Amino acid sequence: MEAFYQSLNVVLNPSHLMLLVGGVVLGLCVGILPGLGGIVGMTILLPVIYGMDPHNAFALLIGMVAVIPTSDTFPSVMMGIPGSSASQATIMDGYPLARKGEAARALGSAFTASLIGGLIGATVLTLIIPIARPLVLAFGSPELFMLAVLGMSMVGVLSGNQPIKGIIGAGIGLMLGAIGDAPAVTEYRYTFGIDYLMDGVSLVIVGLGLFAFPEIIDLLIKGRPISETAELGKGWLDGVKDTIRHKFIVLRCSIIGVVIGFIPGLGGSVVDWIAYGHIIQTSKDRENFGKGDIRGVIAPESANNAKEGGGLIPTFLFGIPGSGSMAVFLGGLLILGIQPGPSMVTENVDLLYTAIWSLALANIIGAGLALVLSKPITKLTVVPFSYLAPFMILIITFACYQATYSWGDLIALLLVGILGWLMKQFGWPRPAALIGFVLAGNLEQYLFISVQRYGLDWLTRPGVLIMVVIIVASLSASIVYQKKLKTAGQSAVEDIAKK
Amino acid sequence: MKRWLMVLLVMVCSLALVAPAVQAETDFAGEQITWIIPFKVGGGSDVWSRLYAPFFQKYLPGNPVVAVKNMPGGGSITGGNHFHTRVRGSDGTTVFGSSGSTSFPYLLGNSKVKYDFGQYHIVFASPTGGVAYINPKLGVKSAADLKGFTQELAYASQGATSLDIVPLLAFDMLGLNVKAIFGYKGRGGGRVAFEQGEVNIDYQTSTAYIKNVRPLVKQGLAVPLMTWGVLDADGNVVRDPIEPDLPCFPEVYEMIHGKKPSGPAWNAWKTFMVAGFGVQKAMWLPKKTKSEVVETYRMAAAKVIADPEFQDVVKKSLGGYQQLAGEDASKAFDQVLSVSQEDKAWVLKWIKDEYDVEVK
Repeated sequence: MEAFYQSLNVVLNPSHLMLLVGGVVLGLCVGILPGLGGIVGMTILLPVIYGMDPHNAFALLIGMVAVIPTSDTFPSVMMGIPGSSASQATIMDGYPLARKGEAARALGSAFTASLIGGLIGATVLTLIIPIARPLVLAFGSPELFMLAVLGMSMVGVLSGNQPIKGIIGAGIGLMLGAIGDAPAVTEYRYTFGIDYLMDGVSLVIVGLGLFAFPEIIDLLIKGRPISETAELGKGWLDGVKDTIRHKFIVLRCSIIGVVIGFIPGLGGSVVDWIAYGHIIQTSKDRENFGKGDIRGVIAPESANNAKEGGGLIPTFLFGIPGSGSMAVFLGGLLILGIQPGPSMVTENVDLLYTAIWSLALANIIGAGLALVLSKPITKLTVVPFSYLAPFMILIITFACYQATYSWGDLIALLLVGILGWLMKQFGWPRPAALIGFVLAGNLEQYLFISVQRYGLDWLTRPGVLIMVVIIVASLSASIVYQKKLKTAGQSAVEDIAKK
Repeated sequence: MKRWLMVLLVMVCSLALVAPAVQAETDFAGEQITWIIPFKVGGGSDVWSRLYAPFFQKYLPGNPVVAVKNMPGGGSITGGNHFHTRVRGSDGTTVFGSSGSTSFPYLLGNSKVKYDFGQYHIVFASPTGGVAYINPKLGVKSAADLKGFTQELAYASQGATSLDIVPLLAFDMLGLNVKAIFGYKGRGGGRVAFEQGEVNIDYQTSTAYIKNVRPLVKQGLAVPLMTWGVLDADGNVVRDPIEPDLPCFPEVYEMIHGKKPSGPAWNAWKTFMVAGFGVQKAMWLPKKTKSEVVETYRMAAAKVIADPEFQDVVKKSLGGYQQLAGEDASKAFDQVLSVSQEDKAWVLKWIKDEYDVEVK
């Protein structure tokens, strides 16, 4: 406990604070630019931290990574373009709100949720440190496989009354995810002799291709500003109040975020979808989801900030990063001369606490800055989109080119973009395809390992059985939901798909 | 993004430029050295290069900016091929960093590989070591107990053509019945699988072993078996200074079989052990580089390695192994290059027979 407060002193030290603010500002910038996320931010900082004191380096790195899920909400809400992979689900309700002229409310609500989610993440992280090791070790390959299946089951609720289209959409995603080197055998699939495809298609490209590309085209075709009304700028306080009113949603989704964050292997890219699916499943009045229900913004935004706290656990304690940005962070640790391992909670516990304090503080500073920025930035939604489009297209192309720095990235963006646009035109749920894509590798890898190791016995492990119960419950909730929609004679999610 | 990196590096390096430039035959003043690393940012090889880069900046004449350029893809084949086909200069402004994952497909004759280490000039090489350990529940107290041990063991593997050739072939040569479970990502994943009991035999590179497995050994949750060993000056495999009390693989082989290892299996194992551990990572200059540039680089490498500040880095982050500069590196890597066609063919057949994998 003493170390806990000592670390607070370290964090509040002016030089540490300066670096933290520097990291936060960089993180906010990286988050706002569509497609750029934690990996890019870490890559920018890695050469800088060489030779730094680890506590200071942590301020910079964690300050940066903590606020990306805060500011990446801007493009998600205002343009329907994911700011990073952590805010894809925010589009579903955030963007409709912006079109109704309620961008300020949506952002106010999102940043408050981000702030509280981030703080809950840091708190839970502190509390679970003593039991973190056994907790992480409880998830063997069979349990991880079942978790990926749970993620897939969200396809049901995200496809509304179009289960067939949802399943096919997820299938398309799985196939896209199967391109490249197979996770468990020494083989390349669907590469057609093209070297570019050997490593598969990057998540950035699929995310931007499915969501950003179609949105830009449609906005250009319409030739109008994003917002359909001219009223803007006010209402961010209403958003804050919305979040406070739905405090239990924030709490639940933050816990979902931390848990998924600290389980290595599932990756942070689905946490927003799981939170979003969860909130639809557990709400009685679901008609407005996809049309601008504020709860659809609060849920993913609280979860995605909370997951950054969770993600530090496997990286610190086991040296196995749970996400792409944590993989680069791990490299940063090694450059600083820190070998992750069990000693992180004994002899190096001060570093761990510095990380937690930096995380909490960064969330506060980040949400504050984002709120201040939100007023001028929301004005962009009344500008005719044709002025914004060249800029957006440039940024998106640039972001995709980060994947491998080759022409293949741009061709892949174009092809996936056309696929996304067609799916949008014909009302096929794109979230389903994205979830399929993200989970394809995990599903195959963990199933393959489970069967190789345990034959069919893995099906009877207690952890697996618990997951089966959760999945069945989740699926039944989706079915009930669909029935309700049918009787109401409308489909919110159909609207989502068409938007 | 690259420009971002460059701006940052230029800023950092302008500080270094204040120091008076050392005049030599080759002068890199005002130049930028691009160090191609065929792996992602944050990976082992990337970290290795970033630990070295500032010191090369310090010791190369003219203090050029040394910028790491990551070119990941195809398990490092993409970057290796780029270096081979696109880098033509003789002035030493582009260098390449290879790792075991670059050498293995080259050794196995993967048809995608265009690069050829035989043509390049090695500047320096970094060794690492590996330590194998087993679950104590199996009743094995030390490597000696492996004699006649027939129970099936499970090993978390990244693939039959990966660095895992070294442990898997070693286990096979000792007569152990080890089932390789494929699909794990990285040695960290394998270690967690060991702790979970999903597998019961594993190995880690030295740095990871010290931090993560030694605590398990202390708690009685793992029994160390052997190291892969390190190369001595004459090219023999001897005990690893990280764990001097543990026998190295050839010693264990002798314990079990009563004779020193020999034959194609041993030749192949040694070649892959050297490529994967003994000279795991190396810096290369392209084929046409002028000999005085090669000399300048090698001298700079020797100075880097002798720098006490860098020695500290080696101790903290590179496992503490003696780094090999110039001729030493060249001599060690010759063991990889001089592998005979028969031994290569033997490994390919072994992989095919054991794991039904063909190298294409």
